[in-house]
Amino acid sequence: MSQAAFSKLLVANRGEIAVRVIRACREMGIRSVAVFSEADVDALHVRLADEALPIGPAASRESYLRIDRVLQAARTSGAEAIHPGYGFLAENAEFARACEAAGIVFVGPRSETIALMGEKTSARREAVSAGVPVVPGTLETVADLDRIAREAATLGYPVMLKAAAGGGGKGLRLVGSADELASALARARSEAQGAFGDDSVYLEKAIERPRHVEIQVLADHHGNAVHLFERECTIQRRHQKLLEESPSPFLTPELRERMGALAMALVRRVGYVNAGTLEFLVDSERKPYFLEMNTRLQVEHPVTEMVTGVDLVKLQIRVAQGEALPLGQADLVQRGHAIECRVYAEDPDAGFLPSPGRITALRVPGGPGVRDDSGVYEGAEVQVHYDPLVSKLVVWAESRSDAISRMRRAITEYRLLGIRTTLPFFDRVLRDPAFVAGDFDTSFAQSLLARADDRPGRPAEVAAIAAAIRAFEERRRSLTHASAQAPSTWRAAGRREAHTARIGSRG
Amino acid sequence: MIFDATVLGRTLRVEVRRSGGHYHVSLDGEPHEVSVSDGVHGFTRLRIGARSHELGLEREANGYRVSFPGDSLSVELAPATRGGALPARRDHGPARVTAPMPGRIVRVLSQAGASVIAGQGLVVIEAMKMENELRAPRGGRLLELLVREGQAVEAGTLLAVVA
Repeated sequence: MSQAAFSKLLVANRGEIAVRVIRACREMGIRSVAVFSEADVDALHVRLADEALPIGPAASRESYLRIDRVLQAARTSGAEAIHPGYGFLAENAEFARACEAAGIVFVGPRSETIALMGEKTSARREAVSAGVPVVPGTLETVADLDRIAREAATLGYPVMLKAAAGGGGKGLRLVGSADELASALARARSEAQGAFGDDSVYLEKAIERPRHVEIQVLADHHGNAVHLFERECTIQRRHQKLLEESPSPFLTPELRERMGALAMALVRRVGYVNAGTLEFLVDSERKPYFLEMNTRLQVEHPVTEMVTGVDLVKLQIRVAQGEALPLGQADLVQRGHAIECRVYAEDPDAGFLPSPGRITALRVPGGPGVRDDSGVYEGAEVQVHYDPLVSKLVVWAESRSDAISRMRRAITEYRLLGIRTTLPFFDRVLRDPAFVAGDFDTSFAQSLLARADDRPGRPAEVAAIAAAIRAFEERRRSLTHASAQAPSTWRAAGRREAHTARIGSRG
Repeated sequence: MIFDATVLGRTLRVEVRRSGGHYHVSLDGEPHEVSVSDGVHGFTRLRIGARSHELGLEREANGYRVSFPGDSLSVELAPATRGGALPARRDHGPARVTAPMPGRIVRVLSQAGASVIAGQGLVVIEAMKMENELRAPRGGRLLELLVREGQAVEAGTLLAVVA
């Protein structure tokens, strides 16, 4: 374990999280090295880093997931450490091992810990050994349909089939009754095989009306560990988080303390080092059940930073440098309230279809308590090859209701043209009485979307006037240049009409 | 010029006349004085009476998408027909479902010849790390379903036709 500060660090990622790490490096006086695929030559992280090296074609399998190319870039640039961000190689034990073998510091836990917690049933067994309650179910993978049927009958339906190598909502199947089991098992297996190259699954009882609450932890190489309280991540769509906040409006002080203590027990049990997150489901009686551990920085880490005042990325780097944690549990308090909205390039009016393309105009919100962790700029291209996260809009305020008002204000300031984003959806969430009351579970987003879209006050008449004037001007211009080559866009648009497919339908 | 502007399912008759730097707009017969400045930064400022609006205007197939603070609206435009407003055109003729982006077909949820209802899932396409369900734009019979599971498709590839 080196004790010297890094002079150069490679960021094995792209998008907003690469930018986040590069910013931390700049503040710490560490030179940053970006890596980029052919599609990302002009990406923001490449522009902001001190150095940048190409690592292959657009497809992530050929670039951001290529361990050999990332390590070669580290050797070429002379980086002493690699920060993996989240996704890509962040929870790849083989990559962490390859870094260790190459004498490059991996900013994260030891490779054995990644492997241990990455296999979901071994993580469950560790949790049970540490005295942490897990969702009732099997502690081993199960392959045999008869055995799964027996276990499911014992647990009681509904049950969840889950990929042992899983994550991100893939290879996950809710099974309502015994006769759905066989086909659900086949589906879960094939999805798991496709996503993770491993079709083993295990069984959990489905928790009714759960909340999804996670605990942030941080530990150093000297045996010091702290937790940084919870993040409420219940607002999800198809197991993808959309909005997170801290504190959780659902936790009592006693439950918060208990979940923190449970997290610390598992951290000590596995000798965890660096930043990590323990995900829990909390049932309607406020009983927590450990789900899994993410052995990396989370997308939603900023809400924790806003309420604790701690810079998690800088502390990750300091821990990786071999420093002792500069703070103890008694130094940590939650102050005020933070909310994060994930601005995805997706169209909420068309079933959240991806909306890649060039951002033709962009103005981001500012003012008190507003933070925009973005990976783009005006003129940037949102690529089809990668995750559609454009930015994370985060606000902090003294209270939850002030934070909700501030987020709604920030959303109205966030102006972006060229692509569609999830921002209008968040305004619906933030106006919803159940959300405002803190009374929701993981089905919230889906049931909100199933209801009629009641966005009030949308200026339909102003929009009609604006569109008609623009059409008037375009038509007038084309009439003025009547001899010009092309038919007017106005008439062309009229002709295109017959060929237009409408995907989905306006809510 | 007179347009029928359809927004949020409602068709408004908009007449636009220009005089000097201003526009006289009649919206379903109600007159408005409007001035426009196409500003920097891709946004357009529209002043209607005393109220000012900063809008984004982006061309869409049948008109424009108009963005305003916090949201946007799709406005379909057609040259006005004499008499009443145009009928909603999208309920007539075959409706084509095309791939909105390059990706891979992971599931086919129906079959050619089946009858479908509006909003029913037809195929699931994986793109940008997410699975996306493409739905029937309207109810009817599925005339064609042109893709198989596992097939890679380009943006604009015709996937299905509902009639």
